[in-house]
Amino acid sequence: MTDATQPSGQQPARRSVTYQRPKTTSRSVLFMDKLADRVITVGGLFVILAVLAIMVFLFWVCVPLLSSGSLDGRTAYKLEAHAGGTYAAAQVDEQLSIALDVALDGKVEAFHAPTGKSLPAPAFDMGGQTATTVGKTLQGGDIIFGFADGTMRIGTLLLKQIVVGEDTIPADAQKLDDRDVLSGGFVFSKIPGQFRRTSVETTLEAPVQIAPAGTAIRKVDYRVSGTAERPLKTFVSLDAAGTIRLSQAASVVNMMTGETSSEVTSSEIPTDVAADDVVALLLNADGTRVIVGKKDGTLLRFNTRDFKAPKLVETTRIYDNGTTLTALAYLNGDNSLIVGGSDGSTAVWFGVDRKDPNTADGIVLTKVHADFEPMTAAIADIRVSQRTRMFVTSDAKGEVWVRHATTERTLLELPEPPDAAGLSATIFAPRDDAIIGIGHNGNVALWRIDIPHPETTLQSLFGKVWYEGYAEPQYVWQSTASQDSFEPKLSLVPLIFGTFKAAIYALLLAVPIALFAAIYTSEFLHWKVRSVVKPLMELMATLPSVVIGFIAALVLSPIVENWIAAIVIAFAVIPITLIGAAFLWQILPKDMAIRLDGVPKLIFFFLVVLAGIYGAVQIGPAFEAAFFNGDFKLWTAGEGSGQPFLFLLMLPLSALLVFWVWTMIDSVIGYRPWLRQQGDIGAGSVEFVRWALLIGVSIAVSWLFAGLMTAAGLDARGGLIDTYVQRNTLIAAFAISFALIPIIYTIAEDAMNTVPEHLRAGSLACGASKWQTARWIIVPTAGSGIFSAIMIGLGRAVGETMIVVMATGNTPVTDFNLFNGLRALSANINVELPEAVKDSTLYRTLFLCGLVLFALTFVINTVAEMVRQRFRKRAAQL
Amino acid sequence: MTDYAAKDVPMTAQARVKTTRNYATDLAARGEPMVFAMGGSLAIGLLMIIGILGLIAWFGFTTFWPQHIVQVTSKDGKVIAGEVFRSESFKPADAQLAAVPAESRAKIEEDLGYAERTLYRVGNYDLYGEDFQWRNEYDVAATEMPADMTFIERQEWGPFVGRITALSLNGVVTQNPTLDAVNAAVSEGQARREAILDLKTDEIGRISTEMEELRLEVKSAALDYGATDQRTLDKTAEVAEKTKALEAQFAEKTTTLQSLQAEDAKYTMTLADIGGQTKEQELSSIVRLYQPNQMSLFEKLGIYFGRWGEFIFSEPREANTEGGVWPAIVGTLAMTVLLSLLVAPFGVMTALYLREYAKQGRLVSFVRICVNNLAGVPSIVYGVFGLGFFCYVLGGTIDQLFFPEKLPSPTFGTGGVLWAALTLALLTVPVVIVATEEALASVPRSMREGSLACGASKWQTIRWIVLPRALPGIMTGLILAMARGAGEVAPLMLVGVVKLAPELPLDLSWPFIHLDRSFMHLGFHIYDVGFQSRNAEAGRPMVFVTTLLLIAIILAMNATAISVRSRLKRRFAGSQF
Repeated sequence: MTDATQPSGQQPARRSVTYQRPKTTSRSVLFMDKLADRVITVGGLFVILAVLAIMVFLFWVCVPLLSSGSLDGRTAYKLEAHAGGTYAAAQVDEQLSIALDVALDGKVEAFHAPTGKSLPAPAFDMGGQTATTVGKTLQGGDIIFGFADGTMRIGTLLLKQIVVGEDTIPADAQKLDDRDVLSGGFVFSKIPGQFRRTSVETTLEAPVQIAPAGTAIRKVDYRVSGTAERPLKTFVSLDAAGTIRLSQAASVVNMMTGETSSEVTSSEIPTDVAADDVVALLLNADGTRVIVGKKDGTLLRFNTRDFKAPKLVETTRIYDNGTTLTALAYLNGDNSLIVGGSDGSTAVWFGVDRKDPNTADGIVLTKVHADFEPMTAAIADIRVSQRTRMFVTSDAKGEVWVRHATTERTLLELPEPPDAAGLSATIFAPRDDAIIGIGHNGNVALWRIDIPHPETTLQSLFGKVWYEGYAEPQYVWQSTASQDSFEPKLSLVPLIFGTFKAAIYALLLAVPIALFAAIYTSEFLHWKVRSVVKPLMELMATLPSVVIGFIAALVLSPIVENWIAAIVIAFAVIPITLIGAAFLWQILPKDMAIRLDGVPKLIFFFLVVLAGIYGAVQIGPAFEAAFFNGDFKLWTAGEGSGQPFLFLLMLPLSALLVFWVWTMIDSVIGYRPWLRQQGDIGAGSVEFVRWALLIGVSIAVSWLFAGLMTAAGLDARGGLIDTYVQRNTLIAAFAISFALIPIIYTIAEDAMNTVPEHLRAGSLACGASKWQTARWIIVPTAGSGIFSAIMIGLGRAVGETMIVVMATGNTPVTDFNLFNGLRALSANINVELPEAVKDSTLYRTLFLCGLVLFALTFVINTVAEMVRQRFRKRAAQL
Repeated sequence: MTDYAAKDVPMTAQARVKTTRNYATDLAARGEPMVFAMGGSLAIGLLMIIGILGLIAWFGFTTFWPQHIVQVTSKDGKVIAGEVFRSESFKPADAQLAAVPAESRAKIEEDLGYAERTLYRVGNYDLYGEDFQWRNEYDVAATEMPADMTFIERQEWGPFVGRITALSLNGVVTQNPTLDAVNAAVSEGQARREAILDLKTDEIGRISTEMEELRLEVKSAALDYGATDQRTLDKTAEVAEKTKALEAQFAEKTTTLQSLQAEDAKYTMTLADIGGQTKEQELSSIVRLYQPNQMSLFEKLGIYFGRWGEFIFSEPREANTEGGVWPAIVGTLAMTVLLSLLVAPFGVMTALYLREYAKQGRLVSFVRICVNNLAGVPSIVYGVFGLGFFCYVLGGTIDQLFFPEKLPSPTFGTGGVLWAALTLALLTVPVVIVATEEALASVPRSMREGSLACGASKWQTIRWIVLPRALPGIMTGLILAMARGAGEVAPLMLVGVVKLAPELPLDLSWPFIHLDRSFMHLGFHIYDVGFQSRNAEAGRPMVFVTTLLLIAIILAMNATAISVRSRLKRRFAGSQF
């Protein structure tokens, strides 16, 4: 055994000596192999992940839209000097450095909001008097006091904030917290990038007699409008006798002293209420409307546009069940009323113009949002946000809830209220980032809140919402406006609607043209011609959409506007011309027809189409004059009879009907067997005459139908067509079809090309004509491929951006009008995203638009892809 | 029943005997109407593409041709002079019609209420407040073409149409100068303008850039060491000294500039429009002038190609409606090249992974469907992603880490050419993946097996056998991706394209390619000039020319793709087993 192995073991060793060739793979090859393996795997997986990450990222940006906000912290402390009672004029500055409230004796109780440290602040000098009521504007700054002797005093209470240099901060300043230091009544705050100095400043003007001497002022509401140089101060007051007065104060500067004082004029509001019954008086910003809320839930609305003669225009009751009104406030913008009841319920009311005869101006105060979660005790106080439609309600038990008016959501129920016996003041911070509750017992809670997107819910994004100023709940997209109190209206429904409106009209135009052209290219054209025609059509796919959009908007839309009647009639004229030409072609002797089949026939098609276009242009003006009162655009706006357009709409249907009826008659009278007996030319001529007659009959029938429908009150206007605007859906659809036709055409043509040749050959061998082969063999076999072509076309149409941006007016409307504009999701992103502030609600909503678009096209394309895969498998089996 | 059948039999028998069977196909079987519907659709589709290309080519190529200046006298005695811009038929309103003379009105009524009108480009925006005027055909009394009407292109206010009445060269006034004298003076004026511009942008611009850099150095030192650190104070002192020197230079250059400008203002000419209004025009602000009504074909060709040259190689002016598109060309090319550098390796790598490395199974076919789908996701969605992720998340992070001294003004945290290229790379990578995969799949298995059997490693097989054969397909995919990228506008509007970029993404200052800069793009240029400019009508010719250029670039890319494919195919033809 060992003997045998010895020599055989030696032999390879000797051979290796001879050849000197190593049997191992070179190290560099192994290394490269491994490296390539790693790099390609990592790179490949990275790209796949990156691409999939798009969806995840879009989703991640959208998610915060639906969160109701969070509580970032709660700080509690006690104000030692707090006297209890209700403080109407509490406020805090933007940086939350100084919070304050004003006692009725004019003392200003200021404290450092984050720590509760008491700060020195100038008091109002009332000469020993104590006010009976206080009013202030929403933003703070302006304040008014009413007194027991019937006088009132206007003043200012400013939390003045200026940007200062770091060197102006005194070295001996007392540290309040990490951000703020205190020195001599000033709070210095270190904000990222700058330093701010905040201080309290007060002024008070001389008393003005409003009510008769000795009649105490009970309630007051105060608004300042106009410009900073010429403010218009308006206030409404209630005295102990139940008289309500509207007053205007004009500032007068004393030439001698330079002091400003106010010259006040008043007018009495005609009403007879008991002073004790009134819960609240409300005045709107420009002083044109006064609302009086009574305990029993009656709201009185006065029109004070004529300052001299205020009128009661509406009286309405908000409670039927014995609930009493306990709190009433205007939402930011002074249009919507928030009412709070003794049962803890909250509702939002505003005036809706219903042309109602029961009110003087037709506007009816309507309970619009009532679906708020009720609090457990009577609503004691309502404070509104200065920038959004949020408000806080606090109840008799001292609970404080943050809510949003339009979405009816309770965003936060703030924990651990400072005083179970109720609050003397609630402050909604100017930046919506904190709420301060001051209890009667002097306990204070500062809740830091973060509610970035209070206005969006699934309902507001996808459902109908009743916005202020609208007569009913609607789908509205309106992201910006000029006023500060504007509420963004972010419904995606008009956008999704617009997307599909453009896509479907475009498909209606593109699908027949593309599919017919594909069948013709695949089944009737010589391969040499096809190799020219197909790349030419594909060339259209490479046109950038910005080019198509520009041509559509700047070249096409003026032409279409000028020639709209010709375009409308062209939809009837071109098909009729083509079919007519086909019947004429049949008259040709057969040998000539066969000889001309091919390129001459293709050229003939061009001529026929051009003749159709020419015909439409020629007929257009006459058609417009005869049927559309001479001006189609005026006609769409509602002038003249709707019959002509209905006639055009009904034409295809009635043609189908007439030709179907003919097939019935045909089989009875034996027309077709008879026709077969005739010669080529004879049969062709007879067919042509028959066709012309049937078209005539179809036109008559269609006209009849249209007449009947008009008589029945039907009209296409108001639905399918309506007022004409220059950049409209028709233009957009036409332009998008430029992009769709080559795509649908190429994919459908490819699908028909992959139908195995033996099927085609078999059919032709059995004697079927080319048309029969195409109709009964090729199209059914390639059906799923054709379907996927249409789906891919739909996907493209849904996502098309630049064409829609340029060719439509980008108006977010929800109607089917072919002659009106639209706004698609893609165009909306394109128009609005460059202006949107990062992480704002609009920004995230636009990301949601992107996500919706992504999801839509993903679903459409997946369906198309799956159908296509199946088709490929089937085609391979055939 | 039987009776009927019995009667039928002899009839057919008789027919068979008497006549031969008619082999003609039934007309219905030929389906001629449907064939015409299909052929007509194809004709419509082809007409659409030919029409749109023809339209663009016609307007694009004719825009720069010097037009005659027509002097139009209206029936009410008003005279205008200008180029014919376009004609159209329109429908006059009833009130308008009432003022028309009877015989013209009869003609309009004959045409069913349509009348002809012509738009004249009258120029002289500074005098008239408009560039264009319509003249209704029925209002025109006479048209003529005076030989001495001059078309003067200016740096500002658009063209001037009129006559040159005087030339004032440093106080020396010549009345009714010859065209040659004017042209000589104008070319001197252009030289002066060049000198002023050089001083302004190069020298003064350089000084202010340096000053800004110094300011950032201090800020950066303060961020690194703290505001009170000795090193920061040293730096501050050093910078203050340098700034002082620069300020002195700045003042000096500004004085030179002012004296140059004052000198330049002495060279002017007096222009008069057709109505006799005059305008004093500095010679340096003239781009070119010519008298089209007395020019030979040769001279016209000179103007034509001169304008093309200006269009391609110069900067835009007049809110992009005049001048050239050089920055947009550079921007488009830089973005496209960057895009292809990003997309080629990653696209090919992914396709190699999917086809050669990954285990073929459900997961891979799912991924494949996803990749196919992504090619159909709208481009604007990629734009949204690019803005949110690249610009804000990635760019914002880069700014905080590397450019804190420039904050809050962003460096990478806003749109730029890098982010645009990355966004478009994501958009086009599915195209490359799909094309490469198909190309890889078409390499016969036998070749791979042969290579492996000869002892080559997997990578060697891919590198030397598979990739060369798949190259035509890969190249085609890549070029198609570039063509698609070059034509996209919507996502770019979100991630870095601007209407007027102060600086090019490629230039001669270090590091030559500036990835953070925003850029101009031909496609966006079309949108901007066509839709956002002061006078859409005046911008229209420019839009057509830009469109022509963009389409030419894209078609050239597509044609290259096709020819590359066919050439490489030929090279490897016959090497199949």
